[in-house]
Amino acid sequence: MEPSPVKNVVVRNLSKSYGSLQALAAVDFDIRAGEIFGLLGPNGAGKTTTVESVLGLVRPDSGTIEICGIDARLDSRAAKQKIGVALQSTGLQDKITPREALKNFGSLYRTAVAPQLLLERFGLTEKADATVDTLSGGQKQRLALALAFVNKPDVIFLDEPSAGLDPHMRRDLHDQIRAMKRDGLSVLLTTHDMDEAEQLCDRIAVLDRGRIVAEGTPRNLIAASRSAMRISLQTSAPLQPDWLAGIPAIREIVCDDNGTQFTVSEVTHALAALVSLLEERKIELTGMRVGRATLEDVILELTNVPRAIETT
Amino acid sequence: MSILLQQIGLNLRLNLRNRMALIYGYLFPLIFLIAFWTIYRNDRIPLALHMGELLTITVLGGSCFGLPTTMVSERERGVWRRYRLSPVPAGMFVAGTLITRYILLLTAALLQIVLAMLIGMPAPHHPFSLLLAFTFASIAFLGLGMVIAMLADTVPAVQALGQCIFLPMLMIGGVAVRLSSLPRWAIHVSAFLPGRYAVEAIQLCTTGNGLSRAHFDLFALLLIGVAGSITAAMTFRWEANERFVSRRGTLWIALALGMWIVVGLLAESKGRINISDPADNESLSPADYVSSTSPASPSLAPVMTPAAPQSSVVKEPAQQPAPAGSAAGKSPSLERPAGPSSWQAVTQHDIDGIAFERLPPDEGLISPIAHSGESPDPTVADQLEQIRTALATWPPAMVSDPVQRARNDLYVAAVPDVLEMGEVERFIPLLVFSRLRKDIPATDLPKILYWIAMHPDDGDDSAIQKLEPFGLPGITGPTQQVRRRVMFYSLKLLGRLTGKIIPK
Repeated sequence: MEPSPVKNVVVRNLSKSYGSLQALAAVDFDIRAGEIFGLLGPNGAGKTTTVESVLGLVRPDSGTIEICGIDARLDSRAAKQKIGVALQSTGLQDKITPREALKNFGSLYRTAVAPQLLLERFGLTEKADATVDTLSGGQKQRLALALAFVNKPDVIFLDEPSAGLDPHMRRDLHDQIRAMKRDGLSVLLTTHDMDEAEQLCDRIAVLDRGRIVAEGTPRNLIAASRSAMRISLQTSAPLQPDWLAGIPAIREIVCDDNGTQFTVSEVTHALAALVSLLEERKIELTGMRVGRATLEDVILELTNVPRAIETT
Repeated sequence: MSILLQQIGLNLRLNLRNRMALIYGYLFPLIFLIAFWTIYRNDRIPLALHMGELLTITVLGGSCFGLPTTMVSERERGVWRRYRLSPVPAGMFVAGTLITRYILLLTAALLQIVLAMLIGMPAPHHPFSLLLAFTFASIAFLGLGMVIAMLADTVPAVQALGQCIFLPMLMIGGVAVRLSSLPRWAIHVSAFLPGRYAVEAIQLCTTGNGLSRAHFDLFALLLIGVAGSITAAMTFRWEANERFVSRRGTLWIALALGMWIVVGLLAESKGRINISDPADNESLSPADYVSSTSPASPSLAPVMTPAAPQSSVVKEPAQQPAPAGSAAGKSPSLERPAGPSSWQAVTQHDIDGIAFERLPPDEGLISPIAHSGESPDPTVADQLEQIRTALATWPPAMVSDPVQRARNDLYVAAVPDVLEMGEVERFIPLLVFSRLRKDIPATDLPKILYWIAMHPDDGDDSAIQKLEPFGLPGITGPTQQVRRRVMFYSLKLLGRLTGKIIPK
């Protein structure tokens, strides 16, 4: 299902400094109705500041934020009526029950969804009257998600929604998020999990040092990347990274007991140079796998971070 | 409004589900009640004279620990972050939290009062005034609790900060240890702590004459509460990772604590810190009320009527061995000035030697006497009438020895004074004075009063245990304090009788 042309979130020229630190610099993005938008980047990239600005928790220095046509900087309370938020933790007292929490938070909004409907939708009926401290991790996560829907929002913010979930629960969650898209909601997602972002997001913005350095669909970002392919080799003798370093277009070299992996932007040239190298060193190629670069490779490339991506 | 009520309802339910909250909120106040009951087990009326302290401890504990612990733990758990994401302003959640805590404090206090009444305490004299005084105390201490919540990053930090306020307030703030037991410096310090004002206001409504004498207390509590609330609002933190902004925050903390200093200075400047009464006067002896220039001497010839009618006079007890069980037999005697050898030998000259100006003021804590023409609170009128009636037929007031008779009458005034029975105690001396004037010949009464004042340890004090006809509690244990109060009242009545003291 294609997202609607209606833009529920419009962010323009958003800037924020903390003393001498420029946390955000002229950030622009839109989220359309029925679109899942991922905000990715390493630690300190500005994701938290961006999200908190949209949610009305941080006052930006400049820029505009529009939520469903409401100027969120001028009237943040009206904008908050339109936003649902699923935090990483439930953010609830130990002794509250899911039914009470849904009822209580629903009462804070002009429009409220009946708690029973949300309990059924998120599979919490059996635990509706149990206190939060007796819920499992998955049940708490579902409750956090249900809380995002108490006000029948048009925009949903999901902060690391699958953190700590087992594969079954993760799959259920992904179904829920896709259902939000089908329902025409705008979803703003931050996640550590690049596979998740790649599977769920219609569009992704990559933040680095307070700026959006790339934006587009996951497929386009990967296709446009110089990190087009990831190659894995098994050889009769171990390869040394410095042997490969001389080959143009090879990056992200990892040599370990499992063999050698690297990323290339021009596969033909790289493979030709590699074969020459193996012949010269009299090393036999015992196995090879060529795969498309992942979103993680793209983001590593864009943000120049040599390790795994983190998105806190 | 419905959101506020919903928040309050939810907060109350969550508190009732939390075992630790119940222990701290309700069990601890009951433990304090039992502790006070045990400590003051000799009070004839249980706990009545300690409700000011008890209820203040309840408010103080709930405010210094209960409120900030709840706020900080919720902040750590992200509850306040979630509230912040909603379109409802912060004030609504803070108000909900404060009103909830006030309701918890109020119910804990009611539980204490009901239990105290089951034990035997009479109902508070001014229940609505008591509610008002309790509310003002809550405003002061809840404001303080909010400041603690903003200062503390973690729950253990709340405990540490709370103890820094709770314990000094209990020990030297007039909350758990009576001001009359404190040294002079601590009484001065207590003026700068809000605890004493809460104790005074609440106690005046429980056994005293209500809020008419508590205007300054209420003002002090309100001032401290408002300053604390402003400070809390200006340093408010939604999230655990927001840290207390040290420089700006310190200025606001200075405002909150500065108001304590303002209140203390006001109290000192208004002379409300009565430091001369309790400790000083209690340690004075009869010799301290005889002028150094006094010519009082046994050798002086009496200038007054030499003897009372024989029929009403027996050999005075002071010249006989002290009765078994009397204080004279077991307490250290007060220093006695040289003087006449018997009450009949007291002269006008002896009386002229009394330094009446050194006596405690009638408005003070020790030996208070109501002003002439002052009407008692209607709530104690019945009790005063009962005392007036009972004095006429009370057997100890009819013994043949006039000195012992007068002593016994004076015990009726002295015991309520020792027990600090608020409104009642100030009027009883006038009833006793009236009774003495009717019962003892005018020529004898000054001499007898002088004699009793100069010999407070003499005579029998068993009448102290026989005050039931007056509806008054007795005092068990050492009676020296009561005898000292008899000394003060003897001198005060003697001053009135001889025109040396002009009643206001």
